[in-house]
Amino acid sequence: MIQVIRVKNIVGPKRDKKVTKAESAKVYRLEGASEKQAKILAEKVFCENIYQAYTLNSPIIKGAREVIEIAYKPGVMNPEVSSIKKVAADLGIKLIAADSSREYGFFGDVTKTEVEQIVNKLHLLNHMVEHIVKREPKTLVIKGLPGKTNIIKIREMNETKLSELSKDKLFLNLEEMKVIQNYFQKIKRDPTDLELETLAQTWSEHCAHKIFKAKVILDGKEKEPFFTRLKKEALKHSKFIVSAFVDNAGVMDFYDGWAINGKAETHNAPSAIEPYGGAMTGSGGVFRDVVATGQGAKAVASTDIFCLAPPDLPKEKLPEGTLPPDYILKRVVAAVRDYGNRIGIPTNNGSFHFHGDFRAKPIVLVGAYGILPKKKAKKGQPKIGDLAVVIGGRTGRDGIHGATFSSAEMTERTTKVNATAVQIGNAIEEKRVFDAILEARDKNLIRALQDLGAGGFSSAIGEMGAKIGVTVHLEKAPLKYTGLAPWEIWVSESQERMLVVLQPKNLSQFLKICKKYNVEATEIAKFDGSKKLQVYFGKEKVGDLEMKFLYDGLPQRVLQAKRNFQFPISNVPIHREESSAYFQFPKEPKNEKEWIAILEKVLASGNINSKEPILRMYDHTVQGTNALSPFTGVGMDGPNDAAIVKPLLDKPYGLVISHGLNPALTKLDPYWGSIWSATEAISNYVAVGGDYKEACLINNYIWPFPDEEWLGKLDASVTAVCDFMKALKIPVISGKDSLSATYRGSNGFILHSPPTLCISVFGKIPDVMKTTSSDFKKIGSTIVLVGKQDLKVDLKILPKVLDKIHKAIISGNVLVCHDVSEGGLVTSVFEMCIGGNCGAEIKASGDELFAETAGCFVVEVEDESIAKKLFKGAPFKILGKTIEEEKLKVGGLFTADIKKLQQVWQKPMKEIFG
Amino acid sequence: MKTIIPSLRSGLVSSKEINVCILQSDGTNCDVELFYAFKKFGGNPQYVHVNELRSKDKTLKDFQILALPGGFSYGDDIASGKILAIELISFLKQEIERFGNKGGLVIGICNGFQTLVRTGLLPFGNLGKMDVTLAPNDSGHFECRWIKLKLELSKCAFLKVNSEIGYFSVNHGEGKFFSSPEVIKKVEDRNLVVFRYVDDQGKSTQVYPDNPNGSLNAIAGVTDPTGRIFGMMPHPEKFVDITQYPNWRREKIIKPHGAFIFEDMINYVRENL
Repeated sequence: MIQVIRVKNIVGPKRDKKVTKAESAKVYRLEGASEKQAKILAEKVFCENIYQAYTLNSPIIKGAREVIEIAYKPGVMNPEVSSIKKVAADLGIKLIAADSSREYGFFGDVTKTEVEQIVNKLHLLNHMVEHIVKREPKTLVIKGLPGKTNIIKIREMNETKLSELSKDKLFLNLEEMKVIQNYFQKIKRDPTDLELETLAQTWSEHCAHKIFKAKVILDGKEKEPFFTRLKKEALKHSKFIVSAFVDNAGVMDFYDGWAINGKAETHNAPSAIEPYGGAMTGSGGVFRDVVATGQGAKAVASTDIFCLAPPDLPKEKLPEGTLPPDYILKRVVAAVRDYGNRIGIPTNNGSFHFHGDFRAKPIVLVGAYGILPKKKAKKGQPKIGDLAVVIGGRTGRDGIHGATFSSAEMTERTTKVNATAVQIGNAIEEKRVFDAILEARDKNLIRALQDLGAGGFSSAIGEMGAKIGVTVHLEKAPLKYTGLAPWEIWVSESQERMLVVLQPKNLSQFLKICKKYNVEATEIAKFDGSKKLQVYFGKEKVGDLEMKFLYDGLPQRVLQAKRNFQFPISNVPIHREESSAYFQFPKEPKNEKEWIAILEKVLASGNINSKEPILRMYDHTVQGTNALSPFTGVGMDGPNDAAIVKPLLDKPYGLVISHGLNPALTKLDPYWGSIWSATEAISNYVAVGGDYKEACLINNYIWPFPDEEWLGKLDASVTAVCDFMKALKIPVISGKDSLSATYRGSNGFILHSPPTLCISVFGKIPDVMKTTSSDFKKIGSTIVLVGKQDLKVDLKILPKVLDKIHKAIISGNVLVCHDVSEGGLVTSVFEMCIGGNCGAEIKASGDELFAETAGCFVVEVEDESIAKKLFKGAPFKILGKTIEEEKLKVGGLFTADIKKLQQVWQKPMKEIFG
Repeated sequence: MKTIIPSLRSGLVSSKEINVCILQSDGTNCDVELFYAFKKFGGNPQYVHVNELRSKDKTLKDFQILALPGGFSYGDDIASGKILAIELISFLKQEIERFGNKGGLVIGICNGFQTLVRTGLLPFGNLGKMDVTLAPNDSGHFECRWIKLKLELSKCAFLKVNSEIGYFSVNHGEGKFFSSPEVIKKVEDRNLVVFRYVDDQGKSTQVYPDNPNGSLNAIAGVTDPTGRIFGMMPHPEKFVDITQYPNWRREKIIKPHGAFIFEDMINYVRENL
């Protein structure tokens, strides 16, 4: 019997403004409780009679024309359930199962169809993970008999059969399939499904980065693999590197025996289908990467970068099967809010980039940064006899594509389990895992850590044991529900799990720590020196592969690339005419009115307008480490360029974090667009007081599927990153590529997302007091432009400019600094006026004002003589002075009212986020 | 409006060790900065997981201050702080009562305040019976911003100076102090209101975003009738160093605005316990 409690607000918080004749209620279903126990729970837990009322086993929304209940689909983990079970247990009530959902009642003259329309319009129902409850469930328990392990007769397959097998589930090419076939012919047996899945996962593009490791033939000339080129150049600048390209995140030296680490990763495909769950699990994954570095790091900061279609994109322009961009925007923001805030990692920095060509495949890129003791910062290696323990969330059928239940093995409810369900992250589960890891690290219990992300156990355990061999007992893995086949457990991508490698003597102490933090921990594998991957399910051996074949058997790919494109951008300033597109002025504005109209258009455009309403929902102050807020100034509404975090509260040391990207420009020109992106990233970094010489880079490629042409463009971008490292003498120490930003519609319609290189920068400064914000500080002070305004950034001059800016800031003579970016110099000056509640009187031409040239800075100093002293030897120009009157006066061109411009700049996101 | 800085505080009284229990549970996430704040002002903070109190590995007997940090205890599932509140009532009722009877101080910040309200300890000291709630913000979402608070002359045993105004960080989705008009009146009549949200003129306000959540009577923090249990939604522990405040580069901050709360608690314990 399931007890159903419904709770509704009766006073207090306002109703949803958008629906006037509607009511909502929360529904709790409790299986295994008596009516009396349910009443206790309702009164003590679910309902606060100060402003709520409840019913037990009867409707609560009365007199409505239509009532619908929306619940998670069976099999999708509802994070609230474990809390419901816990609180019931604390009150002495043992529940067999529980669930929670939402109910909506619609009043007045509405039809069923209209209700459906409202539900769709307000996105009350998320079809990927939720469903409308049509009848009361008889049980909330999901169970089934475990699936069997099958033998795949690969040895006898012809090419067609091999291709079919790959196409259905393995996603390898024919050459790779033949290598696998040969192997099993050689060892004279056929593989199990688990073995094939292991090979497919280990050799997948996602895990093996076959394209970045491929031999590239560019216009007939052989080149080294992209990965080799990046790594070679990076290791020439290894002064601060503690660990690069080997662990889950790159690590650099910090101060006093500490190190800092960083990682950025995309989660594009899941976010395109289900932005909320996709962005959440994206955050969760990159946080685990940062924590699972060395013997464990504390995550101290995060960044969120989104590339989407403009929110006002007309519906008819949406390709088939894609979600509207305004919906994606709202849901990814909600995901960052709900995951980052809950887990207690500050969201310090981020950006939005709008371009129509992101309408099919948006980019969700999350960065995370951490701190760890330097002597525990190297990737751990298991030794013979070590154990692997899985901790955290349980394993379910999450993230397994194409998995199907055989109906004979299931209960009535299990048939409804959505095998490919997108997951909803559970931040608290991950938080307790992190808490346990940090305590175990400090007690010297951890040998090595591995995140259970893509590829699940297969990837994590396999990689850990690649050198020495490992035996796994899969039947020990704690499951969310019964009914999984061994191969499903093996490759499941259920979130919030980590693999911890430790010596047997440390096991009991480790388990005790896990218990303290309510973290489930189960020994699952042993490293044994066999040089084999042996997997058991009980007594049955379900996998037996040689590590040498698994990790070295994949043939290197040879890829053809063409560089048949022109660099279309000439060395003239480019102006933003509309959101996310680059045009020159249609015609030179004739009068003040036209100038102001152009400026307003620029300030309102998607990449440039104020994101404050979003930032006010992200917690950037948690941990108490924030030393430069996203917004500062009199009204705390002037945007800053980068984040400064003080990860050790009692020390003055700063971790500076910034990033840069420009998909629109990279689409026009992959080389100069990439240089621009990297320059923008380092300029943001230096503008706040960062020292570029003590910084490391992270590169993330999000590129259309690399055919010859796109591979040629990718080659140009890789060259740009190498040139940039060489010019600044700093390394890339971590990176990721996602080369599938091509949409193919059923009608032959193809859409390439703009090719995107995002460069993130992180590094150290000895004293956070020697940093700047962007809000003008004084009236009558001098405004200076430092740097060369050149869209093709001059890499010879750039280091000089960066050095001058940095030295000027630490000398204490810079009142304020802001870099020039999208929107040009005029936007920078405007934003500085916003923060200072003042105005500016400057002299510049239209081209100078609007040119979107990276590597330039607007600086406020006391007077001209100081500027001349500070910036001698670098290109600089005195622009004008700050004035008390809140006007932007540009000599000879226009005078604009700052407050009016501010409204224009703030309006777009205020409208979306209220 | 000129911010009045709480700077004229008495120095530390003696060097007696003041043990502060920083209570952790699943989802606690402002524990490190709270630990740091107490340490900075002379306390001896220690992390204690609620499971360690339940298993009796640790006991509140060893502490003079019990501090409930911010965060999302148990995900704030069902309602913020609810599950931890029930855990405390179910397993640690006597221990908390003993702690209170011997004169210990209790502070709950943000999620800690939500928890104390849901145990019933605030505002009337009715452990096990809720009298007020902290409901979802009127804005409908999480708010991360800096607001101004005015310190009221209240029953609070350790915060005694009137009319001081300071900047504090708010970071919550459920902070609307709410109850029936009769209960709110009782809270006011008994002088239990310690902090209110104020506008630029220093007047208590119902206007968003100065009042970030729609709290009735702009109530941001309250004490219990003994004056020794105290809770507030904004985060004083996030402004104990100058650089934690966004505008430290443009405003002259003589003393971080959250500091006096920790100093005063420590001094109270030194003088009274």
